[in-house]
Amino acid sequence: MTARTRRTAAKRREHLWCYVLLLPLLVAFGGFTLWPIVASWWYSLFDWDGVGNPTEWVGLANFVEVLTAPDFWRAFWHTFLFSLVAILIELPLALAFAILLNNARLRGRNLYRLALFVPVVTTTAVVGIVFVALLDPVRGAVNEILLAVGLVDAPINFLGSTTTALPTLMGIDLWKGFGISLIYWLAALQTVPKDLIEAAQLDGARRASIVRHIMVPVMAPIAIVIMLLLFQRSLGTFDLVQAMTAGGPVYSTDVVPTYIYRYAFSPEMQAPRYGFACAAGVVFGLLTLVLTLLQAPALRYRKRVAV
Amino acid sequence: MSHVRHAQMSRRSVLTAGLGAAAGLGLAACGSSEDPSGGGSSSGGGATVELTLALIPDPPGASEFYRAQMDAFEAANPGIRINIIENPGDQQLSAVELMFQQGNAPDIYRAQAAGFDRMYSRGWARSLEEFVTDDFRSRFPEGSLEPASSGLHRNGELYSIPLVWGKWSAMDLFVYNRSLLAASGFDAAPTTWGELEEIARAVTADGGGQVFGMAPEQASGIVRMSRQGVPYSIPGDGINLMTGEPDTANPTMIEAVELMRRMNAEGSLITGWESWDSSRSYTEFAAGSFAMYTAQSWHIAEIRNLNPDIEMGIVAVPVPDSGRASYTPITQQFDPLWSMSSETEHPEEAWLVLDFLASADFYRAYYEEFGTLTAMQSVWEDEIQANPDLSEVFGVAESTMQVVPNPKLASEGGATILNARAERPELRFTDSALESMIKNEDFAPKAAALDEQLRTFLDEIFATGDASVEDISFPDWDPLQPYDAAN
Repeated sequence: MTARTRRTAAKRREHLWCYVLLLPLLVAFGGFTLWPIVASWWYSLFDWDGVGNPTEWVGLANFVEVLTAPDFWRAFWHTFLFSLVAILIELPLALAFAILLNNARLRGRNLYRLALFVPVVTTTAVVGIVFVALLDPVRGAVNEILLAVGLVDAPINFLGSTTTALPTLMGIDLWKGFGISLIYWLAALQTVPKDLIEAAQLDGARRASIVRHIMVPVMAPIAIVIMLLLFQRSLGTFDLVQAMTAGGPVYSTDVVPTYIYRYAFSPEMQAPRYGFACAAGVVFGLLTLVLTLLQAPALRYRKRVAV
Repeated sequence: MSHVRHAQMSRRSVLTAGLGAAAGLGLAACGSSEDPSGGGSSSGGGATVELTLALIPDPPGASEFYRAQMDAFEAANPGIRINIIENPGDQQLSAVELMFQQGNAPDIYRAQAAGFDRMYSRGWARSLEEFVTDDFRSRFPEGSLEPASSGLHRNGELYSIPLVWGKWSAMDLFVYNRSLLAASGFDAAPTTWGELEEIARAVTADGGGQVFGMAPEQASGIVRMSRQGVPYSIPGDGINLMTGEPDTANPTMIEAVELMRRMNAEGSLITGWESWDSSRSYTEFAAGSFAMYTAQSWHIAEIRNLNPDIEMGIVAVPVPDSGRASYTPITQQFDPLWSMSSETEHPEEAWLVLDFLASADFYRAYYEEFGTLTAMQSVWEDEIQANPDLSEVFGVAESTMQVVPNPKLASEGGATILNARAERPELRFTDSALESMIKNEDFAPKAAALDEQLRTFLDEIFATGDASVEDISFPDWDPLQPYDAAN
């Protein structure tokens, strides 16, 4: 056996082990991610209630129905609003907090970090139930306090009003997920070379200038990744909405995941409409992909900056 | 060289260990899948037969009740063991369907209302006709088990066993807090929609933001109110059975929604009702947060349990100012509830359980435990006089409910239409009515739009030839008179 052959064989053995060790992950990916996607595409072509094998072929009828359903587009608009709040409010707010909490001289900063991160690890359904109780206009703590201090003279119907329900959910969702964004930004801040900051400080640069001309450019590549991750996460908002309002009142907080859930699983349906729900899921997935691709210029910018 | 050899041995050991672990997991999984406690039925050691009973543990305390009852059954039938599987009410049907699909169907399961028809249509319910005896029939009122009207039969055969009195699930009750009304100067419950509005306004004005006139009970409350003024099928399905035509835009139907809309706009409906779950109405009523609402029958016992001293009155739902134009419908003698699986391997033993669930002892125990008027009237009819609440409930039911045409039972075409309509919840007035109330928008145009959609829906069904307008038309029916299907 030549030396070259031995090296090739050694590499193959090494690679084989990599594939062997990755196999469980690949199986899980195939079973829980790839197969459901493929199955959704297939089921979306049938009028199927989830029992037995789908037999009633309807072609693209489910897709036509989804695309022409005002309720779907309303739900999609709400989903998109969650993303806008995440990008336009949560992202910069978390950056501001991260800069503050990254200051080594700030006393108790770890405690503040913990306080901001705790909501992330709490169960969303429990958070939802607790907030429903807190916000209730009848004996809810929030309204009791507002009334007691005289800020309002009548209870605020946070979750029962079509004008306040969605903003309320968005606020809670922002609070719930804020810790993740904060951690992302804190991690990003660690990539900024301290010597650059120190050099700038020695040259008399002010804090705002340091943020603008050093921190932001250095973190830009990671910032774009953070934005994409946040965007993706916010598009999938489901559990909080389902736990608190289930899309109500009168669908004013309906998001695409709750819309899909209703057609697939809601007991108010005489029979589940799995085929239609799958079609809605596929359409939503495609729309998400399109929205993500619209951010391609940002990705290209990231590459240029990284270089 | 020594280092390389060591690495190879380590990797081989890891692989061997991994394969061994995988094999172990596989064997464990095989063992787990054979465990009968996960559902399904099987013969245990000796002659013991294990049956699975899938049920909904409601009302509160039902879990313990059913276990105790099944323990009593097992004691009386030593060769049978009952495994109870509990599912939340809104998940029972899906859970049972999943069990059937996975091949571990329960032997007996609870499936009620449309859920029963769903299971029957899938062929998952077994006919009970062969087990019925004269003794069984004698437990129920004469004629109540006639196939055409019982509600428990399909294609002339018995398929389900009832739990509650036929009127129990369908009755419309109006409960009010005597103390709150008296505090606002009213010594009696409202009998008309106008009086309702007046009393609610007064109670709210006197409540100082803490007590309100009424809770609407979501869309269900509108259904109960409106069907005192229009044929029951209009709020139910959007179709007027007198004509076979869509009629959501019926003037009295619109009037009912507009009443609720006005009351909401002026603050007479309790703040926050829009986001309530199903239990909030009776818990808040018991707490004295509002004065009146249209209640479900099982709420009565819950209210009394929560507030034993509440001065609660139970009366008929108020009618339109122009007078009663319809009655709360009796569409069938009983609501189906308990079914036997078509896949059970022990039908005789399963029938023993069903027969027990339809026994005088069980019905009496359920009545005594939960205050529910059970399907066997004889076990409670002499006792309710001692219970003021149930006396009032019984009185309201007897005076406000009448037999009505039921297209589902009358013809296959009728069943086709109404089952298809039920699969299209967006065609019902519910969402539009709630939207009108919450956003303070006119209901009439929404109702008209719904009727147009219903028109299209019906035309599509008629075009298939599976049904016709005759299947949903009963021109001789007078909503103020009991309907006689025989004529």
